[in-house]
Amino acid sequence: MIRLQSGSFAYDDGVPLLSGVTVAVEPGEYLVVAGASGSGKTTLARLLAGAVGTDAGAVFRGSLTLDGETVRFEGGPADPRIDPAVWSASVAFVAQGAWGQLSMMSATVGEEIAFGPCNRGVPYERLRREVDDVAAALKLTELLDRDPRRLSGGQLQRTIIAAAVVQRPRVLVLDEPFQGLDAGAAADVSAAIDVLRAGGTGVVVCAPMLPRTAPEGARIIALDGGHPVFDGLLAEARWAGLRRYGIGTEGDAPRIGAARPRGAPTTGGRTLVTVDDVVVRYPSPGEPGGPGRSERRARRRPPVSRDTPAVLDGVSLQVRAGEILAVRGSNGSGKTTLLQVLNGLRRPESGRVTVDGTPILRQPTGAFAGVVGYLFQDTDQQLFERTVLREVSYGPRAAGLRRVDALRRAADALEAVGLSAVADIHPYELAFVQRRLVALASLIAAGPSVWVLDEPTAGLDEPARTGLAALLVQHAQGGGAVVMATHDAAFSAAVAHRVLRLEAGLIHEESPGPVS
Amino acid sequence: MPRRRILNPLTELLAAVLLVVLVLVVNRWEFSLAVLLLVVVPAVLTSGRARQIGLAVLLIAGPLLLSSLLLHGLFFPEGRTVLLDLGPARVTREGLAFAAVMGLRMSVFTGVLLTAAMTLDVPELLATMTHRQWNRKLVFVVGSAVGLIPHVALRSRQITRAQQARGLVVGRGPLSRVRALLTVTTPLVIGLLVDASERNRMLGARGFSSPGPRTSYLPDTDTPRQRAVRRAMAVGVGLFSVLWLGSGVLA
Repeated sequence: MIRLQSGSFAYDDGVPLLSGVTVAVEPGEYLVVAGASGSGKTTLARLLAGAVGTDAGAVFRGSLTLDGETVRFEGGPADPRIDPAVWSASVAFVAQGAWGQLSMMSATVGEEIAFGPCNRGVPYERLRREVDDVAAALKLTELLDRDPRRLSGGQLQRTIIAAAVVQRPRVLVLDEPFQGLDAGAAADVSAAIDVLRAGGTGVVVCAPMLPRTAPEGARIIALDGGHPVFDGLLAEARWAGLRRYGIGTEGDAPRIGAARPRGAPTTGGRTLVTVDDVVVRYPSPGEPGGPGRSERRARRRPPVSRDTPAVLDGVSLQVRAGEILAVRGSNGSGKTTLLQVLNGLRRPESGRVTVDGTPILRQPTGAFAGVVGYLFQDTDQQLFERTVLREVSYGPRAAGLRRVDALRRAADALEAVGLSAVADIHPYELAFVQRRLVALASLIAAGPSVWVLDEPTAGLDEPARTGLAALLVQHAQGGGAVVMATHDAAFSAAVAHRVLRLEAGLIHEESPGPVS
Repeated sequence: MPRRRILNPLTELLAAVLLVVLVLVVNRWEFSLAVLLLVVVPAVLTSGRARQIGLAVLLIAGPLLLSSLLLHGLFFPEGRTVLLDLGPARVTREGLAFAAVMGLRMSVFTGVLLTAAMTLDVPELLATMTHRQWNRKLVFVVGSAVGLIPHVALRSRQITRAQQARGLVVGRGPLSRVRALLTVTTPLVIGLLVDASERNRMLGARGFSSPGPRTSYLPDTDTPRQRAVRRAMAVGVGLFSVLWLGSGVLA
């Protein structure tokens, strides 16, 4: 149905990628393109989506065949241009980073999902029906009237996938679709994809790791450094030794070996964080989980504060020095809210929060940056400087360090995450995993004793995930503490001393970590 | 109490624009005052956002009024009746009267247009334009221009939060706030540019450049009657303007 033959692909005269790669997808097929960061899987996904990049200075030699019609590219100015409107009528593409894919013309999730079919003139009645069906399949019905810009990360991701699925494409290309989704949401997405496949849609999923489960007959293409290193069934891929290319299996424990945390920290460890009976009821607009347009309208009527369900409804917890704490819970359960309470980004309606002996009252958030470091779920929300080094040295500089000292601290932090080589590059030029690590390094550089991490493993490849696990364990052993929200059960089981589950505004101790 | 919406936003917008045209054409302070008291003030009061609109009108019309008062009040060349002589500047009765007329007119303009803009249901407006088969690029320009404001606000808030999480302390003083604003600007602009190029690509991938008519997810709230009213209003104001100006010229 669709076939990509790549002779070579290069960005701006860079190193050629994807030489001698052929990818064909048949109707109803499920193809996983697996590869570590920088392996070329996103490039491959974009090529399938018809983005050959000639307008962006990239050079592609090869051909694309869709339904028997072949378009050839010689890498010259005379190359044909693919009309995105025509191509996307058959091939739908969901890129990484849901935020950048919002149309910005839609005030509600319903309109956002309908954007594609609207552009193709689908009549009103059919449009409503199709959007309702897809929303039901992806459990988005209740969110249809919400502002898409104000959803939680997982909800936004599902919205963008729904917007692709509703187009009923012949080929659906998804770049890391399960990133940031909880197990339930991931299952819903898989089920919606299965329905499409049953109707003959070929599906391509790019992922940093091999999937734990996949539909029967799922085929894997593994990439390393822009070259294919495996092509076969999932069952064979598991035994093909792909770990040497940095391709692990989703849900496997990170291989931290000797660095594994040994036992729970002594109960005599200093208490670094105390959260006491915290209630957060009104998420302010403009934050994930905040009210959407229709809700804000409703809010103009007399407030109904007591009837509004609390995001956190009397949450208490303590984190001691040397401890790693994981917070789990479904998408939109308030994990991010809880984390933001810890550094004052979100002020609770009632209750007390104490960090390293200092109660968070009315001090500005910035005053706690030296004690609590925060990793945002959306990396691009966190990076704002011109170069990686400036980015990472921002924290130490804001803390009042001299320029030389701040730069040294930044250089050390970059070395810790293995990014010394890219210090002078603009963060936006890096691949996703590297940007994530830059955000982590900028947290480390400020030297806080408490690390608060929102979905730290989402989208990481095997080497980065393992490296992160080692860093966390090392930080805890050095007397620091870590609080992380995560959907990655294997990761939290491997590194966390305690796992808490957040549900309906309350936390429950899930089960002690396997090592405590 | 918020007003109940009875008219389609396109009708509201057209009515606002035509009212401005009428005030310009008639050009009499009695008419401007009547419009201000009978239309603008009630509209602002019943809009449900009286405070915000009032503040916006004050912010925009205030400086204009003040400069008009200074300019015409002090330096009106045709002024004959001198009320106060300040050497090079003279306060004249005619100058003050002219400033009052201009100020009145400006208040009507800002009041009418801001009330219309700030109570406009943008999604409904875009839906109506789509249902009426307006050019999709034009609809997008209107939609994204309006959508850009909350987007920029949200993005700058996110960047400030990220900077705060990394140690930026925003104090209560104006100086500290200005400094915080400056540190947000560069990353904001770069981020928006990167977003825009990515979004452009994604719009293509979602069929935005498809030929043929576009449809809308929102129902068509426009009615044939309102379309007729809009046409009638436009034609009526056009005719009136021609006649009024014509009679003015003849007189």
